[in-house]
Amino acid sequence: MSFGSTPALADGLLVRIVTNQDKPLGGAVIEVRSLSEPRRPQAPVDAIMDQQGLAFLPEVLLVPVGSRIGFPNTDMVSHQVYSFSPTKRFQLPLYRGKPYPPVHFDVAGVVTVGCNIHDNMMGYVFISDAAYFGQTDQDGRWSLPALPPGRYSVSLWHWRLRNPAKLPTQELTVTGSTASTDLVFRLAETLKPQRAATPRAGWDSY
Amino acid sequence: MPIVQKFSILVVLALATVHQQALAQQFEVTFDGRLVSTDARTSFLQGGLGKLRAGATGDGAELGRLRFAVNGPLGDSFRYVLDASAWSTDDTNPLDLTEAYIEWRPAPRNVWRSRVKAGAFYPALSLEHRAAGWTNPYFINSSALNTWVGEELRTVGLEYNLDWLGAQRNSPVEFGLTAAAFGWNDPAGVVVAFRGFALHDRQTPLFGRLRTFALAGPEQRVLFDEIDGRAGYYVGAQAKYSDRVLLRALHYDNRANPAVYDPNIDDYAWLTKFNSAGVRIETADDWTLIAQWLDGETYVGENSATGWNFDTKFLLLAKQFGRHRIAARYDRFATQQFRSAYPGPMTNDQGDARAVAWTFEPRPRLSITAEYLRVDSNYNVRSWLGENPLARESSVQLGVRYTFDGSAH
Repeated sequence: MSFGSTPALADGLLVRIVTNQDKPLGGAVIEVRSLSEPRRPQAPVDAIMDQQGLAFLPEVLLVPVGSRIGFPNTDMVSHQVYSFSPTKRFQLPLYRGKPYPPVHFDVAGVVTVGCNIHDNMMGYVFISDAAYFGQTDQDGRWSLPALPPGRYSVSLWHWRLRNPAKLPTQELTVTGSTASTDLVFRLAETLKPQRAATPRAGWDSY
Repeated sequence: MPIVQKFSILVVLALATVHQQALAQQFEVTFDGRLVSTDARTSFLQGGLGKLRAGATGDGAELGRLRFAVNGPLGDSFRYVLDASAWSTDDTNPLDLTEAYIEWRPAPRNVWRSRVKAGAFYPALSLEHRAAGWTNPYFINSSALNTWVGEELRTVGLEYNLDWLGAQRNSPVEFGLTAAAFGWNDPAGVVVAFRGFALHDRQTPLFGRLRTFALAGPEQRVLFDEIDGRAGYYVGAQAKYSDRVLLRALHYDNRANPAVYDPNIDDYAWLTKFNSAGVRIETADDWTLIAQWLDGETYVGENSATGWNFDTKFLLLAKQFGRHRIAARYDRFATQQFRSAYPGPMTNDQGDARAVAWTFEPRPRLSITAEYLRVDSNYNVRSWLGENPLARESSVQLGVRYTFDGSAH
């Protein structure tokens, strides 16, 4: 992975992420923070993390800090959603449908969400206090059309990273003159393996 | 039948009737029917020494299983499960429970989670019977190892589980420990001792019997009964890697006193102990490999004067192609008597089995399975009865399983 300052002549930004085997990494969260101006989080939103086919949908939900997230269960079976992540601890006792009000995520960080009945259901809520953030597409790319001149830090997170306490980060200087800057993250470490595909209904009961 | 003794089951039944506001009770009804063609010997289900269930009905259409199950929450941290099945018109009860329990499963507050099960249920042993109702999704007829579990084992008691939820802490590894104390499983061992292993899918119901070949005692065996007033136990461990690799090990000892006889069921308490271990690996390209091993011993009579060793293992390989799944399995099994209170020859049964199956799931909850199974066994008791001790039994089956499910408030 390359660290350090990248000379930029641009007001646009294209971030590309590849694994240590040079394969694009989709679904990674990118945060861009200004190093020269005070923290300016985006406005909170109302969002939904559904439970469908014994899986959280989306698997990774990215929201600004202060957002409220509903956890409806559209499966036939009951789920019991919980998190004991330090960023947000909560639990929604066994339910179907939408019996509970949305959960307020008022601290930035990553919250791992599980179902106490179906241990292989895993979801991640990423609560960002950055001014700019987004997720890479299947080709491992994410772009910003315009970034005001200044110095920025660009960091990435993915649930398959082995050490979430030390996220890959690069610094970026935008002069606001021309074109677009390409920022490439090539991961140094091997990612954690993908978890098993979504189980079939009724399997893994024993 | 010591129905009153099975207090825990009755508690489950009573609690299951509790109305739960706004929480869904889920139910499932599964029909499992087959077309069978077989050359098997007279089945153990008819008192013979054949290894297959199919030998009981011969060729033609057959009911595999009709299953009714309900489960649902009881408050915030408890849930109940009731699973009842009909296997054939010859059963003691037309419909009988295979499992009935309450589970206490509070939401985890940290990486360690405790769970407690009370009632009647399977120990976490089989890696093949992973689907609801302790169903084997790969084959119609199970491995010798798991067939035996379904025939003779059931935890009627309390099980404690401690899980380390590593995935919640960014770890690909998770593990769990299990300890249980149980009763009402004192006759366990009698069937594998007298008949040896078999390969089929019939689970002995909690209040039912298992008809089987018997050198002594009744042909209709009661498996779930408390005879000597001594609790048994098992301890186990499991580890998971990224939900793709599952390792399990279990040590079981029913701590029965084999000198105690119960005239109500015409049977002794059988002292049965075993160790078991297994692995299930599921790859990213939809291969599944399951290997399981079990080795045990069972004793009956004063001073454990008569004893058998039994051991079995199998290897199962499956590959999913979209809605199709093919599976192959190879089994080995042996039951050897090593001491006897009586003079004369001792029993010795050993053999192997191979099976291939193709399953098509046109839509969720509907599956069609074609299976070929061949069992080769050499049991010296057959010669005492004037039969050839060597038996090659095979069956070709076409099975349909359809599950109807729903929920009620």
